[in-house]
Amino acid sequence: MYKLTLIIRYLVKRRITHFAVLTVALCVFIVVVVMTVMSGLVGEFKQKNHAFVGDCVVGTKSLVGFPYYEEFMQTLERTEGVEAVSAVVKNYALMRREGDARNRGVEIIGLDPVKHGQTTNFGQTLYHQAGDVTKAFVPAYEPNAVGCVLGIDLALWRNAQSQYTYDAQPAEIGLILTCFPLNARGAPAGAGSVPVSTKRFQYNDHSHSGIAGIDGSTVYIPLEWAQSLCMAGVLKRVTALHVKFCPAVSLEQGCIRVRTLWDQFRQSKQGASNAGLLDTVTVETWKEYRRAVIAPMEKEEAMLSVMFGFVGITTVFIVFVVFYMIVSHKTKDIGVLKSVGASSQSVMVLFSGFAAAVGVLASCTGVAAALLFLSNINRIENWLFERFGFQLWDRTIYAIGEIPHHAEFSVLAVIVLCAIVACQIGALVPAYCAARLRPVETLHGSRT
Amino acid sequence: MNETSTNKRPLILKAENVHKSYRMGATRVKVLKGANLSVREGEFVAVIGASGSGKSTFLHILGALDRPNEGDVSFDGHYFSRMGARELNHFRNEMVGFVFQFYHLLDELNVLENVYLPAMVSCGVAGWLGTRGAAKARARELLETMGLQDRIRHKPYQLSGGERQRVAIGRALMNKPRLLLADEPTGNLDSATGNGILEVFEQLNRAGQTIVMVTHDERVAHRAGRVITLADGRVKS
Ligand SMILES: Nc1ncnc2c1ncn2[C@@H]1O[C@H](COP(=O)(O)OP(=O)(O)OP(=O)(O)O)[C@@H](O)[C@H]1O
Ligand SMILES: [Mg+2]
Repeated sequence: MYKLTLIIRYLVKRRITHFAVLTVALCVFIVVVVMTVMSGLVGEFKQKNHAFVGDCVVGTKSLVGFPYYEEFMQTLERTEGVEAVSAVVKNYALMRREGDARNRGVEIIGLDPVKHGQTTNFGQTLYHQAGDVTKAFVPAYEPNAVGCVLGIDLALWRNAQSQYTYDAQPAEIGLILTCFPLNARGAPAGAGSVPVSTKRFQYNDHSHSGIAGIDGSTVYIPLEWAQSLCMAGVLKRVTALHVKFCPAVSLEQGCIRVRTLWDQFRQSKQGASNAGLLDTVTVETWKEYRRAVIAPMEKEEAMLSVMFGFVGITTVFIVFVVFYMIVSHKTKDIGVLKSVGASSQSVMVLFSGFAAAVGVLASCTGVAAALLFLSNINRIENWLFERFGFQLWDRTIYAIGEIPHHAEFSVLAVIVLCAIVACQIGALVPAYCAARLRPVETLHGSRT
Repeated sequence: MNETSTNKRPLILKAENVHKSYRMGATRVKVLKGANLSVREGEFVAVIGASGSGKSTFLHILGALDRPNEGDVSFDGHYFSRMGARELNHFRNEMVGFVFQFYHLLDELNVLENVYLPAMVSCGVAGWLGTRGAAKARARELLETMGLQDRIRHKPYQLSGGERQRVAIGRALMNKPRLLLADEPTGNLDSATGNGILEVFEQLNRAGQTIVMVTHDERVAHRAGRVITLADGRVKS
């Protein structure tokens, strides 16, 4: 019983204990806030990439593309577990406004809006045509013209808080795209003459994928137009097939299935004209397909975890020092307790129980403070920006709307547990030393 | 107490050939070199000796707060060297009460809690709920006999030296020990206050309490029934 009484008294009355609680709480606070924000950002970014790509990509890095894709699309569409397939042409072009001589380089994606809308979140990224993806390339007031969709950052201005000024109707702008068609051998088409093809598109909508690199440089046009502008030759080609699996199919299972099908398909096409182009094609999951942009984020997250591992070690050390000090201040108490019959084990329990109490109190305080902070983090950032012009992430560079602030319960539980364990480890050695002391060793020469 | 009557009483404490030395760097300081002592139930024994003669060391060994290098101590015929940790803890908790020269009260506990600390130590949370009432009553009663009934909520730092020593005596008597060991209980007190403490001891002894008290003051020692001298690491009576 004396243990409980003394633990409470040590906790309440000793200033050094308050510092220990504060230190541990601060560490917990920092870890919770940073982990939540960071894993939120990474998670959000991955989710956006997943939504943008679909589940699996059968594609080539080559701009020449690959033929016979329609046949393989049919094979896939017949395959169980495949929900939708969309053929895509990715290429580069120069773009200028009608009446303006200045060109800028853009990436073009040629797609069938309906199929692509079924495979990816393309439909949801649209603004004016969000309700009806079939109209993505059909300008309302100029039905005979061919429409295009611009990445939102090509179409609209973004203010410093990452907010766009939307138009009620798509502005009436004509855009001229100039492409460099390649033939099936990969050579510029029509050598001798000027090897470019040009086409006017009517601006019809903008697409907001939330991925800054995409939204700032991509123009979406109808698939057939991309093919005729960028690819010369009799055989129709595309650069990628995006595949979406049914919810029941796991990413790995689905991709293995597609890979097998693709290998069979390639074998069956051996000897066909331009069959060599099929050899450049790979089957990748969305993660593999977008690894160039995801990997750096994941690396940052991993580095952060390592850094917080060090924070954890520092916490253990701080707790160790604090407890060592508390125990050395309390050797007299240990002597007194032992002289009235307390056992070594119960002294050990007293100090490790005290450490656990510090751990629980501190991590609860830290978590509570962190949750409070996180729930206000966007408000705080806005205030800082309005007042001092300070922004955690420059919204003109980063496509972050709100700072993520949803802490996961499992993560919190792990952090709290780690904090309590850290306190236990930190207190272990001092508690053990305290328990081993013989009563007289501590009482001899102590005069209070 | 009458000497003939105490002689018939049973032996409660017996120290046999107790040796104790401390290592000071390379040399060993021999403090006790074969000290013997027998204490009968109800005796009031004073141990005197020069400063540094090993009185405190001897008393600690008698109270099982330290172990001798050689020799042994028995309580009621049971030798400390043959007792396990659990039995020794039980002995320290129930059989012996120790009054230290420097009081050694716990700063975080108030006067009442300091007194009933030994009762708390010997039981768990559930057991304490059962015995708390009785323990508190006993502690209050002890503090009343020490004249401290108005100070039970005070913290040790709010008390004078004499008051602290009386609290420490209360703590030592809490579990009604059969043996009371006191190390210079009056050493830090003026003669009037020290006299008060000695009166408490005499009163306790009259009620049958066995007491071994260490002091370096001959006048204090003569208040006890028997005086022994510790010199050269041995007991000379
Ligand atoms: N833990 C220890 N380590 C080393 N030496 C010790 C230790 N405890 C006691 N001594 C030494 O043993 C000797 C006896 O000490 P002790 O405290 O028993 O003397 P004492 O008779 O009680 O003296 P005083 O009257 O001043 O209290 C001293 O020389 C002291 O320095
Ligand atoms: Mg002494």
